[in-house]
Amino acid sequence: MTALIAIGAGIAVMTGIGAGIGIGIATSKATESIARQPEASANINKALLLGCALAEATAIYGFVIGLLIILFLK
Amino acid sequence: MDIAGKLMEELESKTSFTIPLFGGIPVSSSVTVTWGIMLILMILTLIFVRNLKMVPDKPQIVLETIVGFIYNFFTDILGEHGKRYIPYLGTVLIYLACSNLTGLFGITPPTKDLNVTAALAIMSIILIEYSGIHSKGGKGYFKSFAEPMVLMTPINILELFIRPLSLCMRLFGNILGGFVVMELLKLIVPAVIPVPFSFYFDIFDGLIQAYVFVFLTSLFMQEKME
Repeated sequence: MTALIAIGAGIAVMTGIGAGIGIGIATSKATESIARQPEASANINKALLLGCALAEATAIYGFVIGLLIILFLK
Repeated sequence: MDIAGKLMEELESKTSFTIPLFGGIPVSSSVTVTWGIMLILMILTLIFVRNLKMVPDKPQIVLETIVGFIYNFFTDILGEHGKRYIPYLGTVLIYLACSNLTGLFGITPPTKDLNVTAALAIMSIILIEYSGIHSKGGKGYFKSFAEPMVLMTPINILELFIRPLSLCMRLFGNILGGFVVMELLKLIVPAVIPVPFSFYFDIFDGLIQAYVFVFLTSLFMQEKME
């Protein structure tokens, strides 16, 4: 039973894959556009931070679910 | 199993003392830490606001830079007519930044408690909806649910619940995640190694999350006010 719970928590945390890919793409585009237009870096930073916060939320949901699985399925 | 037990002990939100009224009201440690932060911020405000001059001296320049930064940041997002909400948003920003940084001093941050972040998120959503009502009037506010078309109404209503939930969970999950990683590291290697990680999880991540929380709140407000 413990092994199954651990596997379940591990699967839940796999949401991190999507968040990682998303943040990676967003950051690469942001660096590209800052290199092309350094004077717009303030606006680009703001948009990047918003995008990262929203993409990261999915990873956080996975983490919270994983934690709930471990804490409440004993 | 020893590590797991210790970790579970750290994860519980403890009660620091009980008020002997109505059969005992438990006061959790996050509340007492918040009181401490409030006290320190109050004293700092009282000290720095005394003897303000037209030609500022050194501490006043620092103070003016911080306040100016906060005002510029929110004015950029909210615009001129959103200036009345800046004091609240600035207060939340300063409080969150301070409470996320308490981990540096070995105190458990109040934002690790789900109740604290839930309360902040509920306050945010009330302010967001209030700002919509204030700038559009009651009729315009209810009309805005059917925009851009009538088909979107259920999604717009669902957003009322999704937004505070995601605000609350994002802050809580980030701080808790950082806390768990730091505790695990401290259990395995007590010295030296945790220091650079502490810089990331306690300082960088905490400040970014405080920034993101107020940033998203003001962005939603601006969306409601338009």
